[in-house]
Amino acid sequence: MLEVSGLTTRYGEISALRNASLIVGVGEVVGLIGPNGAGKTTLLNTLAGLLKPSEGVVTFDGEDVTGSSPERLLRMGLALVPEHRRIFGDLTVEENLRIGGITVSTRRRQSLLEEMAEQFPVLRQKWTTAAGYLSGGEAQQLAIARALMSEPRLLMMDEPSLGLAPVMVDVVFELISSLRDRGRTLLVVEQNATRMLDLADRAYVLRSGAVVAEGTGADLRADDQLFDTFLGN
Amino acid sequence: MAELLQNLIDGLGRGSIYALLALGVAVIFGVMHLLNFAHGELITVSGYATFWALSAGWSWYLVVPLIVAVSVVTSLVIERLAFSRVRGADDFTLLLTSFGVHFVVSAIFLLYVSASVKTFSRPGWVTNTYAVGFLRIEVFDTVVIGVTVLALVATSLLLQRTMFGLALRAAAADFDTARLMGVRSDSVIRGAFALSGVLAGIAGIFWLMRAGNTVPTAGVNPMLKGVLAALIGGLGSLRGAVLGGFVLGLAEVLLRSRLPDSLASLTEGVVFLLIALLFIFRPQGLISVAHAERV
Amino acid sequence: MFSDLRRDVVFPVLGAIVLFGLFLGAGAFYQGLLGGHERLVTFALIDAIIVLGIQIYVGNTGILSFGHIGFGAIAGYAFALSAISPVEKIKRVADAPFGLVDVHLDPWTSIAIAVVVVVTVAAVVGIGLARSGAESGAVSATVITLALLFVTHELARNWPDMTGGDRAGLSFRIGGALDSRVPIYIAFFGAIVVARLFAQSRMGRLAVAAREDNLAARAMGVNPLVQQMVGLLLSVGVVGVGASLRVYQKGSILPGDFFFNLTLVTLVMLIVGGRRSVTGALLGVGVITAGRELARRLGQDGFEIFGIGLDDAPLDWIFRPNLKMVFLGSAMLGFMIWRPAGLLDDWELDRWLHGKFGRRRTKPPVPLPMVAPGNSDALVVRGIDVAFGGFQALRDVSIDAGRQEVVGIIGPNGAGKTTLLNVITGLVPVDAGTVELGGVDLTGKQSFQIARHGLVRTFQNLRLFGALTVWENVEVSALVAQTTRDQPPLDVDALVAAAGLWEVRDRRARELDYGTSRRLELARAAAMSPTFLLLDEPTSGMSDTESMSMIEQVRSMAGVIGAGVVVIDHDLNFITGICDRIYCLDCGQVIAEGSPAEIQANPVVQAAYMGSSAQQ
Repeated sequence: MLEVSGLTTRYGEISALRNASLIVGVGEVVGLIGPNGAGKTTLLNTLAGLLKPSEGVVTFDGEDVTGSSPERLLRMGLALVPEHRRIFGDLTVEENLRIGGITVSTRRRQSLLEEMAEQFPVLRQKWTTAAGYLSGGEAQQLAIARALMSEPRLLMMDEPSLGLAPVMVDVVFELISSLRDRGRTLLVVEQNATRMLDLADRAYVLRSGAVVAEGTGADLRADDQLFDTFLGN
Repeated sequence: MAELLQNLIDGLGRGSIYALLALGVAVIFGVMHLLNFAHGELITVSGYATFWALSAGWSWYLVVPLIVAVSVVTSLVIERLAFSRVRGADDFTLLLTSFGVHFVVSAIFLLYVSASVKTFSRPGWVTNTYAVGFLRIEVFDTVVIGVTVLALVATSLLLQRTMFGLALRAAAADFDTARLMGVRSDSVIRGAFALSGVLAGIAGIFWLMRAGNTVPTAGVNPMLKGVLAALIGGLGSLRGAVLGGFVLGLAEVLLRSRLPDSLASLTEGVVFLLIALLFIFRPQGLISVAHAERV
Repeated sequence: MFSDLRRDVVFPVLGAIVLFGLFLGAGAFYQGLLGGHERLVTFALIDAIIVLGIQIYVGNTGILSFGHIGFGAIAGYAFALSAISPVEKIKRVADAPFGLVDVHLDPWTSIAIAVVVVVTVAAVVGIGLARSGAESGAVSATVITLALLFVTHELARNWPDMTGGDRAGLSFRIGGALDSRVPIYIAFFGAIVVARLFAQSRMGRLAVAAREDNLAARAMGVNPLVQQMVGLLLSVGVVGVGASLRVYQKGSILPGDFFFNLTLVTLVMLIVGGRRSVTGALLGVGVITAGRELARRLGQDGFEIFGIGLDDAPLDWIFRPNLKMVFLGSAMLGFMIWRPAGLLDDWELDRWLHGKFGRRRTKPPVPLPMVAPGNSDALVVRGIDVAFGGFQALRDVSIDAGRQEVVGIIGPNGAGKTTLLNVITGLVPVDAGTVELGGVDLTGKQSFQIARHGLVRTFQNLRLFGALTVWENVEVSALVAQTTRDQPPLDVDALVAAAGLWEVRDRRARELDYGTSRRLELARAAAMSPTFLLLDEPTSGMSDTESMSMIEQVRSMAGVIGAGVVVIDHDLNFITGICDRIYCLDCGQVIAEGSPAEIQANPVVQAAYMGSSAQQ
């Protein structure tokens, strides 16, 4: 579904991403792991259209979408749950979900809202609460539900377990797991490499802006040298 | 006591117009981080449209919607021609751009129309008053307050109940994430300018009715009031802008009545002094919206 | 006050002479060959003085002030009240307080008085600006200055006893009282010199650093409020002189003379030329004066250009009187859209001349030798608790670092590493715990104070003073260290050479490539001669090879000034390569400490980085 080839993104002089290539097939769960500063967020932000790559090609469903705007990419079916969640703190839970569904028809949006309320009982309880009052775990669920409101074909998530208490980390990974079970296509950046690899079909390891390893989840999980790969030894 | 109540009503009347102007300024600041010094030009342009329409024999019933329409169109035109080109620029550039627009528009009128005052006749009821107990209330103030309340309610409904309003609020909170949701940046900015134009138009109706004339520099005063009131309330807060407008209106009226006669004409000056003091001790305005600095 | 006499005094004065000559030459050309009126040139000179005054403040601090013309009003009225004869004053302000009617001083003393008065007012306003947290781009500062403009205008209009009010104002008996231009020439030349000398002085440099990056400047020990105040007072003084001369030349003063119109004109002049440069300001005055004059002529009746009379339709519809207002507004708008930095940005004539003809040594100096740091002044951090809202960012964190060590802090994203560094350097307040350096309690002090005590940091997102050269970036810290720390003056040349930056020392910081930028940041921090260098992700964005060379860089800089190092980074290769001891943080707590080998083998550290399996 998604093909990335030779992607390079720069911030002024820094090449935050160097010549990165990856593939995400329909129905797959693909993980992006690696130490921090590796460029994982830069990669997702570039794919989501917030950053413009200086080199490389991104193909979505066979169509070249390199450098497209976020608005266009979302309408094509590519959604991002951003790092640190970025929910709209002054809007209520319901409003956050609503804005997530701004690109779908009013009727469909209504039924989607009902679906989300069912799928995320925690959110239903806080339906009319301002999102700024949610705990970290609740906010993460909201961010994911909000992205789901746009009926994405490919859902990207940037560090969903970041800053969450261990109990909430479990909840989030269960959520990702159930999304996988429902046949969703996912591209997930995670710092918690161990748990991500348990979940993913395939994964890529990023370090210093480049892809340094790839393989199936199981293979990488079993790799004794993985920590060293992280270190760069 | 009677005087205080009288002042209150006068102050609310003034404050209503300021609140509408301030809200118009705050809406644009929310999405673009731009302090619109050109906001008053919408009233200048509407003023000339009013003059011409009335001279051509139109009645005020037609002129009222005309003012709003002209205001909206002018707002969108200014956005297209000037502000769209400086999106994302630093605050210095944005400030001076809006300042520049202000000067160009008033200069154009100065140049191609006339520097002289164009008077037009106000509707008859503007100067009427009626009595309630010991108070003498202007019909005008009543209408202004009433219409403003309606306008604020309508704007609130627009912002809270419609998708457009939701998009606007989301964009004001976090523009990039709003784009991730699919909100189109062009649409939301133009929408903000249109809304700002409507608000300025409504304020303009009453401003022009009270003034009874227009000049090329007609926009300076409303712009100042709108900008200052929005700043007083705390930029980034729509509620703050409305509050700031009422505070400014009340402060003006109360000061004028409290100051000894010899200093009465210094009211404006004192208001500015108070504003300066407010910003010295509370630079974030009355209602602050927290901004964290990323290190 | 001046670090390099040739660059900072001699060449600016020479440049001032050249600019003076050019400006007067242009004026003579206009008067002589184009038959222009001499009044235009006289007023252009006076405008130039005022614009230079504004440039001193706006250009060096980056704070947009709308109030300088308000200061001009105060000076103008003070001048008028002093200089106008009692006979004239009785006609307009017979009831003036403080016996002002009887005051009658010669013009030069009057100007001096005007300057004293307005600078005193500026001092008060300056305190208010500081209180409001003024910095480049701050809206509050702009609002306060705008309020000042209005307050003075309203006062002038509504205090007829002092000012003659709105309609009459104050006037001298003769209009155009100055017989010769010599005083104006002197003031004009003086203004150029003052503006350039301030910009090149220590105060001016520090102000510019704060303008470029307020946070970084404070982290280098600069207290921007001091420079802003001095800049404000100087600028208002110059504006005061210009305003007084304006009143003198015009022979009268009305409130409207010093209000929006003049504000617009002076601001446009500053913007068009380039507000960050004195040469630019003068160019702006020239361009706008010429443009206004052209606009005025085009609008006049009977004007012909290439034989085409502009009075004939349809051209007469465009070229009318008051065209110059449109011109001014369009100039402001146009430049903001297409060239916000102005024509010259921050190019200065004398700096260019110095670059061409005034070169100092071309041989690279001997780099600083490594020194053995003493063992004193350890960094002791104990029991730090920090909570943001409900979120506990740091919990009972304690760290030790000795001056002879390189200590690393690692941990996954969100572990609290940068928060810890922010706490140590005063950017974030603590809920509990202490930070001590050599026994001195630094907890809760402001960042510039902590820097002056000897804890200097770098930033994860590069924060160089972009408009300054490499050399000047390093010099900023050295200047601060010189006056605030008990250190012998640092040889900036030698430090620049030791950092491997000698070849690029005259390039602007914003033009450097990334690796060099990082090295400059390091050198700049080192120039403070700190006790400890605190580095926040120095290898962020670098490739593996670049990171490895950073190890050498850090060792070299720390060795040259004898500082201890505390470094945060994600690049474990880099960390294990450079550190003697490492702390590992996770979820706001220290979970491991030890040598690089111990840390790498520690399963707790591995779990923190790689994540652990599902709990039940």
